[in-house]
Amino acid sequence: MNKLLTELSDEDLIKEYQDNNTPEAYDILVKRYKDPLMNFVYRFVGDRDICTDVVQDTMIKFYLNKDSYRSFAKFSTWIYTIAGNLAKNELKRRRRRIIFSINNNDDERSPQIEDKMFLAPDKAADGEMRNEIIQKALLKVKPVYREVVILRDIQDLSYEEISEITGLAIGTVKSRINRGRAQLQKLLKHIYRE
Amino acid sequence: MKKIYNEDESKFSEMLNDLKGLPKIKAPDNFEYNLMTRIQNKNFGALEKERPQFNWIKFLAPSAVVVSAIILFFIFLPSSQENNNQLLQQTKLQDKQSEVNNPSSAKNELNNQPSVTSNDKLQSNSSSLLGSNNQASRPRTLSPLNDSRSIKLDDYISGANKNQSNTNRGNIVNNGEEPSQYDGFIVSEKPDKKTLERYRAVVDSIKKAQQKADSLKKVQK
Repeated sequence: MNKLLTELSDEDLIKEYQDNNTPEAYDILVKRYKDPLMNFVYRFVGDRDICTDVVQDTMIKFYLNKDSYRSFAKFSTWIYTIAGNLAKNELKRRRRRIIFSINNNDDERSPQIEDKMFLAPDKAADGEMRNEIIQKALLKVKPVYREVVILRDIQDLSYEEISEITGLAIGTVKSRINRGRAQLQKLLKHIYRE
Repeated sequence: MKKIYNEDESKFSEMLNDLKGLPKIKAPDNFEYNLMTRIQNKNFGALEKERPQFNWIKFLAPSAVVVSAIILFFIFLPSSQENNNQLLQQTKLQDKQSEVNNPSSAKNELNNQPSVTSNDKLQSNSSSLLGSNNQASRPRTLSPLNDSRSIKLDDYISGANKNQSNTNRGNIVNNGEEPSQYDGFIVSEKPDKKTLERYRAVVDSIKKAQQKADSLKKVQK
C-alpha cells in the first residue's frame, strides 16, 4: 500500500488524504516538501530556527485545512503559498519586535543583521563566505522582490508557478524578478565587478 | 518582452549561477517527529482558528430586513404605479363615462361594430385651428383621449367600416366633437376673436407671399 502511495503524484496524494484521511499520504507529502520549503523559507527569513517553525506551521496548516485545497491547482503552488504567507507574517512580526526593542533599549542596541558587505575581495572569493554574503544581501532586498527571486533563481520554479503562488500576473512577476535581481546585483557589486 | 528578460538574465548570469549554487537547506532530523508530536497533542498554537458557530441573531437580522423590504415593495409599488399612471386612470374613467353617456356605443362595442357611430352626423369643419367663429366661441375642452374620436384599426383592416364616412376617418387627426371631462396635459384656453383674426391675418399674408413667389417663378420661366 505504502509503496503504491509513494508512486502517486502530489495531487493524487492530497486527494487520497482528503477523501480517505490516509495519514500515510500526509506523511509522504511532508517528506517531499519539508526540504524545499525549508530552503525557500530560510532564504526568505534568514534564520534557521524561525524557518523550522514556519515550515512546521505550514505543515500543520496543511493538516488542518486540507479541504481548502482545490484539485485544479497544483499542490506545490498551494503549499508554497501557505509557507510564503506564514514567512511574510513572521517577518512583519519580527520587524515590529525590532522597532519595539530599538525604542526601548537605545543604548544596548546591536545591529540586527551583521554587515559583511565590505569584506576584502580576496576574502569574498572564498566559497562559504561568498554564500553567506549573498544570503545577507538577499535579506536586504525588498521582501516583494526577494520572494520572487528566491522562487525563480533558487527554487527553480517557472514564471507560471510563481504567478500562481504570489497571485500576481506573469508580467508583474517578471518585472519584479528583474528588479530584485538588479537590487541584489547592486548590493553585491563588490563581488560582481562590471 | 521575452528578449528583454533573456538579455537581463545574461546580464546577471554570474549572480544567477551563484544563487543556484547556494547550499540547499535541509529540515532538521527531528522535524517529522516534532510535527507528529504537535499534531497528536493538538498543539496548533494560533493556527487553529475556531470556526464561527451558527448564530441565529446574525442570520435572522439581515433576512428580516430583506423580507420586510420585499413586503414593503409589494405593498407600495402597485398603488404608486396606479397613482403615477394618470394616463391609464383617465382612460378608464373615460371608458366608464362613455358607457354611461352613450350606452349604444357600449352595445356596439359588444357587437363588434365601429365605435364611431355617434360621430357620423358631425361635420369635419372643426378640423382646422382657424375654424369658424362659432366654433371658437363654443365652450369645450380639447382632448386627445376622447373616446368618440377612436377608430378601430382592426375594422379598418378587415373592411368592416365600409359605411363609415370620410369625415369620421379624418376624426382621428382632427379634434373630437364631444366635450370631455379630461383636463390634463393640454392647457385649454378659450380663444378670443382678436387673436383668431390675428392668426388668420398671418396665415393670409403667408399664403399671399407664397402666391407671389409662385407667380414670380412662373414669370422667370
